[in-house]
Amino acid sequence: MTPDTLETLLLSHLKKNARLSIQDLVDMTRATAKEIEEILDNLEKSGAIAQYTTIINEDLLKKSPSLIRALIEVSVRPEKKTGYDAVAKRISAHPNVVSHYLLSGNYDFLVIVEGSTLQEISQFVSELASLENVRSTGTHFILKKYKESGVHFLSEESENRLAIVP
Amino acid sequence: MNHPFSKRLENIPPSGIRKFFDLVAHSKDIISLGVGEPDFSTPWAIREEAISTLERGTTAYTSNSGLPECREAIATYLKNSFNCSYNPANEMILTFGVSEAVDIAFRTILNEGDEVILFEPCYVCYAPLVTLAGGHVVTIDTSKNHFLPPIDQLKKAISPLTKAVLICSPNNPTGAVIPSDILQEIAALSIKHGFWVITDEVYAELSYDKPFVSYASLEGIKEKTILLNGFSKAFAMTGWRLGYVCSSQDFISRALKIHQYSALCAPTVAQYAAIEALNHPESVVAMKQSYQARRNLFVKRLNQIGLPTLLPEGAFYCFPSIMGTGLSSEEFAVQLLKKTNVAVVPGSVFGQGGEGFIRCCYATDLTLLKEAVLRIHSFLKKIG
Repeated sequence: MTPDTLETLLLSHLKKNARLSIQDLVDMTRATAKEIEEILDNLEKSGAIAQYTTIINEDLLKKSPSLIRALIEVSVRPEKKTGYDAVAKRISAHPNVVSHYLLSGNYDFLVIVEGSTLQEISQFVSELASLENVRSTGTHFILKKYKESGVHFLSEESENRLAIVP
Repeated sequence: MNHPFSKRLENIPPSGIRKFFDLVAHSKDIISLGVGEPDFSTPWAIREEAISTLERGTTAYTSNSGLPECREAIATYLKNSFNCSYNPANEMILTFGVSEAVDIAFRTILNEGDEVILFEPCYVCYAPLVTLAGGHVVTIDTSKNHFLPPIDQLKKAISPLTKAVLICSPNNPTGAVIPSDILQEIAALSIKHGFWVITDEVYAELSYDKPFVSYASLEGIKEKTILLNGFSKAFAMTGWRLGYVCSSQDFISRALKIHQYSALCAPTVAQYAAIEALNHPESVVAMKQSYQARRNLFVKRLNQIGLPTLLPEGAFYCFPSIMGTGLSSEEFAVQLLKKTNVAVVPGSVFGQGGEGFIRCCYATDLTLLKEAVLRIHSFLKKIG
């Protein structure tokens, strides 16, 4: 297996389960621990692997953190020299912003924010709307999660196979 | 009336393992390594095509041998993927899974007393279906030959009554893949002695270490070859029940007589969905990659905890030896289930050479596979 193929394979396994140990990856790919560690070190150092994260279905938590999530469409005036990036940097820096994309279409940015109360989100929206380059915003609160990062939250994929089939 | 039921059925022994299966069926919260199917749902595009077929109301019978466009898609797929050439017009029948294809293959060629050679351990349906078709089963044990057909023993087993030899590669339950040199030797014997070769290739897409060689792609054997394949395993379509049988026109015209009266046609919705399945080879690639990673991890760890296991080259099963425990495969499976809630299939279910082994399916969530290994390890320590 070439290092490139191994890298693609490791990323594909880790995207599905970031908690796989080096030993798991060794056993799954039949590469050596040294080869795997070298590839992951490089990907982490370059920032290509930005973070190992966790996907949570809050509905199933015993003690719900009552997190409120909203998608905000933002139209902005890009700046002369820096275009969208300078204003994007200011918005992204806000602690409530969890994801932020530049899009084609009717508006410029899609900003995903999280907060623990409606007030917190609305406070953020007011701050956002008052930024000099922001022309307009449109806020959509998320009511229910069906799928996130490839993981289904509906019961469709649950086990329905017979336990024994010869 | 002296015989209210078929006498042939009496020649099929009742399954000795029934009690074990019932035990599993009534257990809760088990980690099952006993399944025989993918752990993926049928890919989205295939399901959507089926829904659309229903919405259009396209639900009538198809021709007996199956939708022409589905047969054409399969013929193109067989040519492109495995270099097998079959005319979709008259060398193919779509069936209710490979199971029906096995049944009609035997019923098309067997006369009372004809012998069929099976390499065991093998899938459980072959021997009973030979018996029901009036044939006589001759078995060859592959367990001492890395679960591959031992050609010297095959030569000894061939008699004037030998009508057919059945091979299944990649294999259920062992995962063994028959290399092309052994296929060539079987082909040479088929040509020399004139017996049929029935080749069950339902796991053909799941060959991990080398490109799969189809027996049906060999030169000069078409007239005596019956190729069986289907959508269950590669496309995660087990419940859709769609398989196919390909052979010469002479065979197919006769097999069609059985299929048209006993089945009429394969499920229509499944046939439309299958055409869509063949348009999405990428879904097979992703599933295959996932099985391969799990195979690598699971087999390595079984060996580490003291269950000698050959690395299976295909399908999604491995066949660890439990001989070191001194238990029979059924005792092992029952005790493992009762003590650790892990279900496996005793090797004895799969015939001669299966005793002393268990079949584990690794098409199960990786976290559960890792947990299953830990539980089997603790079980081995307790009984050791």
